[in-house]
Amino acid sequence: MMKNMMMAAALATGLTAAPAFADGHANTVTLQLQWVTQAQFAGYYVAKDKGFYDEEGLDVTILSGGPDIAPPQVLAGGGADAMLNWMPSALAAREKGLPVVNIAQPFKTSGLMLTCWKDTGITSVEDFKGKTIGVWFFGNEYPFLSWMSQAGISTDGGEDGVTVLKQGFNVDPLLQRQADCISTMTYNEYGQVLDAGVNPDELITFKYEEQGVATLEDGIYVLEENLNDPVFEDKMVRFVRASMKGWKYAEANPEEAAGIVLDNDETGAQTEAAQVRMMGEIAKLTAGSNGSLDEADFQRTVDTLLAGGSDPVISKQPEGAWTSVITDKALN
Amino acid sequence: MRTAFVTGCARGILMTRLNAIIPALTVVAVIVAFWTLCVIPMNAHLTADQAQREGMVLTPEAPRDRQELSGLSLALKNPAIIPLTYVQTRPRLPSPHQVVQELYDTVIDKKITSKRSLVYHGWVTLSATLLGFVMGTTLGIMLAVGIVYSRTMDKSVMPWAITSQTIPILALAPMIIVMLGAIGIQGLFPKSIISAYLSFFPVVVGMVKGLRSPDAMQLDLLRTYGTNSSQGFWKLRLPSSIPYLFASLKIGISASLVGAIVGELPTGARAGFGARMLVGDQYGQPMVTWAALFAAAITAAMLVAILSLIERQTLRRMGMGAA
Amino acid sequence: MMAYILALGVWIAGWWLNVHLSHSDRSDTRFYSLLIPVIFGVTIIVMWEILVTMLEVSAVILPPPSMIAARFASSLNLLWADFQQTIIKGAMTGYVFGMIAAFAVAILADRSPFLTKGILPVGAFMAALPIVGTAPIFVKWLGSDWQSKAAVVGVMVFFPILVNTVAGLKDTSAMQRDLMRTYGAGYWPTLLKLRIPAALPFIFNGLKIATTLALIGAIVAEFFGSPTLGMGFRISTSVGQLALDMVWAEIIVAAIAGSTFYGLMAWLEKRVTFWHPSQR
Repeated sequence: MMKNMMMAAALATGLTAAPAFADGHANTVTLQLQWVTQAQFAGYYVAKDKGFYDEEGLDVTILSGGPDIAPPQVLAGGGADAMLNWMPSALAAREKGLPVVNIAQPFKTSGLMLTCWKDTGITSVEDFKGKTIGVWFFGNEYPFLSWMSQAGISTDGGEDGVTVLKQGFNVDPLLQRQADCISTMTYNEYGQVLDAGVNPDELITFKYEEQGVATLEDGIYVLEENLNDPVFEDKMVRFVRASMKGWKYAEANPEEAAGIVLDNDETGAQTEAAQVRMMGEIAKLTAGSNGSLDEADFQRTVDTLLAGGSDPVISKQPEGAWTSVITDKALN
Repeated sequence: MRTAFVTGCARGILMTRLNAIIPALTVVAVIVAFWTLCVIPMNAHLTADQAQREGMVLTPEAPRDRQELSGLSLALKNPAIIPLTYVQTRPRLPSPHQVVQELYDTVIDKKITSKRSLVYHGWVTLSATLLGFVMGTTLGIMLAVGIVYSRTMDKSVMPWAITSQTIPILALAPMIIVMLGAIGIQGLFPKSIISAYLSFFPVVVGMVKGLRSPDAMQLDLLRTYGTNSSQGFWKLRLPSSIPYLFASLKIGISASLVGAIVGELPTGARAGFGARMLVGDQYGQPMVTWAALFAAAITAAMLVAILSLIERQTLRRMGMGAA
Repeated sequence: MMAYILALGVWIAGWWLNVHLSHSDRSDTRFYSLLIPVIFGVTIIVMWEILVTMLEVSAVILPPPSMIAARFASSLNLLWADFQQTIIKGAMTGYVFGMIAAFAVAILADRSPFLTKGILPVGAFMAALPIVGTAPIFVKWLGSDWQSKAAVVGVMVFFPILVNTVAGLKDTSAMQRDLMRTYGAGYWPTLLKLRIPAALPFIFNGLKIATTLALIGAIVAEFFGSPTLGMGFRISTSVGQLALDMVWAEIIVAAIAGSTFYGLMAWLEKRVTFWHPSQR
């Protein structure tokens, strides 16, 4: 009872305070990452450690993510000004009633791929039928479900469909042969499979980019209503400018960037080798972008998601899901 | 004469201490022996795959055929891999010596302030545990007093306290964290709330039983002394509930530690045992996970032992003797 | 402001009603014993609905009870399938295995005080292994399906049932054991006819504690790898999809399942140990 009362009180104060928080301080920015500290987010850590945010007069707090943290939820609760999210997840959140808007897109290409054992006999999408495939959830399942829908393969298992396994946070399902294929990122899990001693010739990979079903990944999103506030908008312009400077620096100096990420890793469990490799791969994904979202890329992502047949991730063309207002001012 | 007496006493104390420890040590030894044997079949497949890549010839040759065999038969057919199963870097079941080595490495070999030290991470988890434990115990005692003294609370709140434990905290945790984050509270406090959630219930149950434990005769005696309700509480009910309280506290502190570890997941897995377990698991470093797992269990055991010590001292001073 | 006043009003009304009912003559009947907590629960739900709708809290953070009820009603099939996967296949199997293992070890320990002194600290250590660490390891060993969840549950319930069974088996007085000896009963008949029945109150205490542990264990274990079915799976993916109403619908299923399981054990206890003072 007392606990419920406390929760009700906290909730009430929280909601009346939330809008105040988002536009409260003209120079503080809180960024919610999608996962734990790793080189996938190097640009922001580099910008912070090399003083790019200081140069813009910003005081930035970077909140790491993890299992059980949904960045859109944190944004909705006012715990962060901006979040990183994959576009399918953000568009789905928009349809659910949370008006998030893409203000910058540092990642041009997708790093998502399926890694399979070659000796399962899989050579193309058609061979997925009857196999077990590991898929992450928490927003990362949308590209896969879309792809299967377009290929006409059911995800309910059986002879003519794929059996989907909710992959945990490691590559063991593949190594222990519990799954024939698993979802991997070019910059993280694929390297771990190799680290476990597997030879690349034992594997066959399917990159979503090459299959034509890639969706845009890490983008910076904010709440629509906050963009109407000129103080907030100005803050975001400076933030994006400094962040992109951080990204370009990280691309050019991968080892230094990996070192900065390691310094910021509070668990002490990350290794330099893995982070340097990750930074190298991430640099390939961010290379084509200066931060602004290319409308053609956006439309391609939307088309992939809308083509998802019986269970589409989004049901109609999103309106107002992205804006170039911030990047126009930040990059010119 | 005196030295003989002293040595006699010392030997007596040592023997009773040993008497208490030897059975546990024997059981531990048996378990460790069993564990060491199990390493072979558990790691056989991975070891075989790895050995084959490095050039060893195996029976059967193709990895797919090896899948059919159990770990034990694979090891027996290829005895050369047996010693290798004990030194895998990513084992399915690490050998006991690997766990001890990792624990030694991260507890003793690292500076306490370094983020690679398990002691540092232990402190992060422990601080949330202790704060949550204090909050949970306070809440539990207040609820228990309310339940014992108010009939309404007894009938309306107690069933819900039981139901609250059936709600998986991992489902509620993100909501709690987000709501607290919305009012700017981050860091230690949200994790402690989850700890408190898991530890308040044993305390409520124990204290309610304890506060109700004085029998009718004792209550009547106080009434003949003309004591009012408040004195009755402080002089009779509360003291008689202390043994029950300690029993619940021991359960509560374990639950609190589990809560703190669980709480590290929705708060960004930055530091602490839970964070180590998660990141170790995700980045292919099972030794980090196993070391953190054992360290967490050892911490829980130490906390319960400390509580037992406090319990013995407190009960002795209150005249309730050895419990 | 209005929202707070209204919510407060509902709280006062509900509390007053409960006070009135608790102090009435019929407050000890089964009907009233059920009614009072139900009124309390309804009061909280009404307050929740008022605060969430009137303060316009985003459904992405906390949905109103009406939305949750709608989602619950429309997803019964899904919830039932999840229930079967997690509770019946995962939690129940683990509970039964853990129970059998605990009984076996307790009877073994009973024959040897040496073993008893050795097993209990080791069991306490096992119980202290956090599920966040053991679950991924079991998934690694046993795969993602219900078997690993059953293993996690088995490990979690082993110690509470063991401790209580051991305590129960010790709880016969010297006179009772002597009586059995005068009847010429050996170890096993004494065990079956005297010591196990005498131990039942303790055993049930352990079994009741284990019910909630089993439930939580199965659900949390699914966070670390599962087929696309199960309550833990549904909760974690729904949080990711911002479908908070589904999360709460699953929480309701968990609460109902847990309370029913606990209630079942309590009822069984009453039937079997009717002779114990606490049941009279």
